[in-house]
This record gives sequence, C-alpha cells and structure tokens, in this order.
Amino acid sequence: MKLGGMSFFQLASQRMTWLGARQAVISENVANADTPNYKAKTVSGFDAMLENADAMQGLKVTDTRHITSSGETPNGVRVTADEDAWEGSIDGNTVALEQQTIDAAEVAGGYRLAAELYRRGHSLLTIAVTGVR
Amino acid sequence: MDTLKTVLSVAASGMRAQGERLKVVSENVANASSTGNASGDDPYRRKIISFQEMVDRDSGASMVEVDRIRRDDADFQLNYDPSHPAADEDGFVKVSNVNTILEMSNMREASRSYQANLNMFETGRTMRSQLLDLLK
Repeated sequence: MKLGGMSFFQLASQRMTWLGARQAVISENVANADTPNYKAKTVSGFDAMLENADAMQGLKVTDTRHITSSGETPNGVRVTADEDAWEGSIDGNTVALEQQTIDAAEVAGGYRLAAELYRRGHSLLTIAVTGVR
Repeated sequence: MDTLKTVLSVAASGMRAQGERLKVVSENVANASSTGNASGDDPYRRKIISFQEMVDRDSGASMVEVDRIRRDDADFQLNYDPSHPAADEDGFVKVSNVNTILEMSNMREASRSYQANLNMFETGRTMRSQLLDLLK
C-alpha cells in the first residue's frame, strides 16, 4: 500500500513541502534584511504548485547546481520577487521584518496543522487495519 | 533537498553576519577616543560594514555574507588641547569620527536582526521536529 498514492496523504505531504519551501524563502529574506539592494522574495501559491505537480515541463534537474528552465526549485515551487513588500528603504532593500515574522508564524502554524493531519490520517488507517485505537 | 535544513543554515548565516556587524560596532565604540601618537597624526577612523547576498552553491539559497569593511571618510573633529602629544603646531588634536549615538542605534539594530534570525532558526527547528515526530 502506497500512502503517497492516497490523495489525502499526498496532499498533506505536498502542503508540507510547499510550507518548507516558503519558510526557506522567508528565512532568506530575514537573513538579508540589511543587505543593500536585496528585494524581498516570495513563493507561488500552493494551488499553483498542485496544478503544476503533474505537468512539470522543462529540463529535468538532476543536480542542485543545474539551472531550472522556469525559475522553479526542484520541488516545483516558483520563487519570485515579492510585489506586496511593505516598505523600501533608502539602500534599496524591500524586506520588512514585521511582515516576514507574520508570514513565518503563519507557515509554522500551517506546518503543524499539516503534520497533525498526516498523523491523524495514519491513525485512522491503523484503526481500519487493526480495529484497535 | 531538505528545505528545513536550508532554513537553519540561512538563519545561521544571518546570525553570523549580524554578529560581525556587532563586532565592528564594538570596535568603533572602543576606539571612540583613540587619537594619534605623534603631532598631527590621524586618529582612529570609524569602520563601516556592509552585507551582500551570497547564493549557496549546494542549496541555491540566498545567504548573507559580509561584503567588506570600509573606513568612514567623514572629517575628524578638532579639539584644542596643546599639551596633548598628538597636537599639531596650532594646538589642535584630531579626534576620531566615531559618533557614539549612531553606534548605539547600529548596535540595537544588529541585535534586533540577530534576534529575528534566531527566531527563524527556532521556527525551522520546531517544524523539523514536527516532521520527525511523524515517525513516532
């Protein structure tokens, strides 16, 4: 039995992949909060990732040093400049730490939710298979 | 590729850079009243640190690193103190161009940014442990 083939588990694991990628981008923004001319980045939505999951076009990436043809990271999440960045400082940096903090908290909560759902799904399966809780 | 590991290493690079910045600030503050030794000598010149984006080869993540540490070209202040060993023929001593209030605000900002990176580190770690908890 493949858990990944069941839509629920696949959805939860994709959600966690997306949240992880988003958190990585947020941490890049926070680390570069004082870098001149750094533009805040953001990732494409979860829905876009789900739509593209089956139809990954372009060149195959088999090494981390390969350049992807569409600006996507290997896990199918597109990283773009953040158009909704709150502020621009005089050195050309557009990172607002407050905004990043809010996003990071949101991602952490979502991750916990997805992990918990995955676990619940797993215990449901256990009940179905063994009959004991 | 493990994105949560990327979170940790990016946050660590941020903390490193901010720590370096704090080091420069402390150097400036410590040398705020350093003057030259001989007559007419230049005193301590304030250091300025700047950061730049560094793309990590393995993960492709944008880390941060110290670009370079420059010297501040601002003019020195002149104090009248004829008995000072570094005084010129008119009795003026050049004092370093460190502005302590500026350094203090710089210090605050560095420690705030350090804290922000530390929080990202902590969040990444929590997420990682939630992921590992699925194995239990």
